[in-house]
Amino acid sequence: MEKQRKIIHIDMDAFYASVEQRDNPEYRGKPLVVGGPPQGRGGVVAAASYEARKFGIRSAMPSKKALELCPEVLFIYPRFPVYKEVSNSIREIFHRYTDLIEPLSLDEAYLDVTTDKQNIGSAIEIARQIRQAIKTELNLTASAGISINKFVAKIASDFNKPDGLTFIAPAQVEEFMEKLPVKKFHGVGKVTAEKMKGMGLHTGADLKKLTEDELVAYFGKVGHFYYNIVRGIDDRDVEPERESKSVGAEDTFAYDLTTTEEMHTELEKIAQTVSTRLQRYELKGRTVTLKVKYHDFKQITRSLSLEKPVCDTETIASTAKQLLQLAELTDKKVRLLGISLSNFHEQKIPAKKNSAQLRLFE
Amino acid sequence: MRFIVTSTALLKNLQQISGVISANTVLSVLEDFLFELRGNTLTLTATDLETMMRVQMEVNDAQGNGRICIPSKILTDYLKNLPEQPITFNINVGELSIEMSSDVGKYKIGGEKADDFPKEPAPGDTTQFTMPSIALLECINKTLFAVSADTLRPAMTGVYFELDKNSITFVSTDAHRLVQVRRTDINCPQKDGFVVPKKPLQQLRATLAADETLLQLAYNGSHLFVTSAHLSLSCRLIDARFPDYKAVIPVDNPYKLTINRGDLVSALRRVSIFANKTTNQVVLDINGNALQISAQDIDFSYEGKEMLSCQYSGEDMKIAFNAKLMVEMVGNLDGNEVQVELSTPTRAGIFRSIDKVENEDLLMLLMPLMVGV
Repeated sequence: MEKQRKIIHIDMDAFYASVEQRDNPEYRGKPLVVGGPPQGRGGVVAAASYEARKFGIRSAMPSKKALELCPEVLFIYPRFPVYKEVSNSIREIFHRYTDLIEPLSLDEAYLDVTTDKQNIGSAIEIARQIRQAIKTELNLTASAGISINKFVAKIASDFNKPDGLTFIAPAQVEEFMEKLPVKKFHGVGKVTAEKMKGMGLHTGADLKKLTEDELVAYFGKVGHFYYNIVRGIDDRDVEPERESKSVGAEDTFAYDLTTTEEMHTELEKIAQTVSTRLQRYELKGRTVTLKVKYHDFKQITRSLSLEKPVCDTETIASTAKQLLQLAELTDKKVRLLGISLSNFHEQKIPAKKNSAQLRLFE
Repeated sequence: MRFIVTSTALLKNLQQISGVISANTVLSVLEDFLFELRGNTLTLTATDLETMMRVQMEVNDAQGNGRICIPSKILTDYLKNLPEQPITFNINVGELSIEMSSDVGKYKIGGEKADDFPKEPAPGDTTQFTMPSIALLECINKTLFAVSADTLRPAMTGVYFELDKNSITFVSTDAHRLVQVRRTDINCPQKDGFVVPKKPLQQLRATLAADETLLQLAYNGSHLFVTSAHLSLSCRLIDARFPDYKAVIPVDNPYKLTINRGDLVSALRRVSIFANKTTNQVVLDINGNALQISAQDIDFSYEGKEMLSCQYSGEDMKIAFNAKLMVEMVGNLDGNEVQVELSTPTRAGIFRSIDKVENEDLLMLLMPLMVGV
């Protein structure tokens, strides 16, 4: 049998609002909404503090409605770059335990801790440590849900919000799903919930009574998902972010290189280009990858991760030379060399740098 | 209900409106077409809650009136793979079942309740005017490319329609450039203005006929309705004030440069290949009747330079633009010759066609880049 997975879903509590309350003491304990102001076309609530939620204010609600529910509510314009930065710090905490991280948004992520980097072994203990680290290092609270798959973990994280931890043991999953009201099911919106209600389907147990064919007939292809999920089956993997792009450069030579000296000279030139590109995008990479293509078009890559992210020519060149020692060079002629850096830390969007462009309106 | 329709005719009509539909996992009914049969007329509707499009067609052997929602993807996929032939639709509205029979087979789809489909906004209390289809199409074509993608400035994510007694002006801007096109052959009932989002305009661009058919435009505080004989579109307007664009259009740019449009675009395209990829900066160096366009990327030691002849009246100057934006602008002008009106290297350049289209006044504005040369 396949090994039972351990999935954690971490959800920051009222993330944007909590960051604002953390950074601005005068906002603490007050009903606060991060989002567009209610005037004009009217923004929507991106996040509401727990004080605001007491009035019935919810995210995605029009700001006008929020103002009706609570006339004293403070509207704060979102500071996305700040949230992004905090989100990166949270992600760094996750990385201490696992690299299998699937961020859903700035404030939510799935972690697969079936095996963890520190050999803690207990998903509950990992979740506890993560929540503790978020609290002490970032002064924010998060809720965690732990179970055997993404679906149950996500629902669990919502159970003891805010600042809670919920574990649904493998043996409890089926019972848990049976008791779950249908509107909590992923993908069940108001319309489908009404439809289910009309059919006398109120909980997972009601759905479980239907055959797979019936579910598909009533709800379309999502019926397959319902059929499995009420039985506690959700095989979706935790998919780590794919944004781990790389920056690199390579050069094909007019004649094949045979001596190490020649190769070193070329690597220095390539390292210079890579460094310039990294600096243009304001990036630093931790992993250096060397690519070597031989005269017979056979190609190899060798990579090395450094202590710290780098972008300077010297380090890139010396690391590449080190990697070259790992490549087989005896009796080989080299046609192409390339260096790339990946595993970036801070990412900045280069478009914003384009300040030379003059504007008509400020 | 039941009817017979030619597969290609149905597909053609569905494709006119299908662009409105976007994937929606929350409200599956938004991924459907609403089919409404009344007599021999079949009305097809698609919506994303912001924009709603509707097309009418005649069908054969219709029996019974009724309404049902049919999933759009499966239906269009099926029709695309079917050679032209009549299809019989047998629809049981109560059981939400749709059966389609063709010469070669029988297919079934499960539908959704028509009552779950969003209602069209009521066109109450509207102001109306008419405009030839081709005129609206042209104006959308000329303005849409300059619309901003910056959602923090909602007003600029649409095209501003500025109405006047004897003209209508369309304006778009992304803060770096601005396009203003005025039709002087359209009469509107009153001075007024509203901002129409990009998506419905893209839909109109894709479906409007390039002919003189009169379209009816009606608007109120929240919506725009565009209606032709068979097709209608309604969309929510952007509820934000369009920036005071007139204030940024220079009234007196004294230096005038006239140049062949095709030559300018080709030269810009070539030279910009050698430009820095983040700024796309090209420098225009004007000396008498010679225009030098140059670009460079210091990081890679790239350099490009071309010399063009032009007619120029004004002081020699050096001014830099983003080549990508400039090519888009000049490419959207009409005629063989273009006139560029300049004042200083840090103020907007005005681009116009020398050959005017009848009843149309087109002006494009582009802010320069700060030259670091």
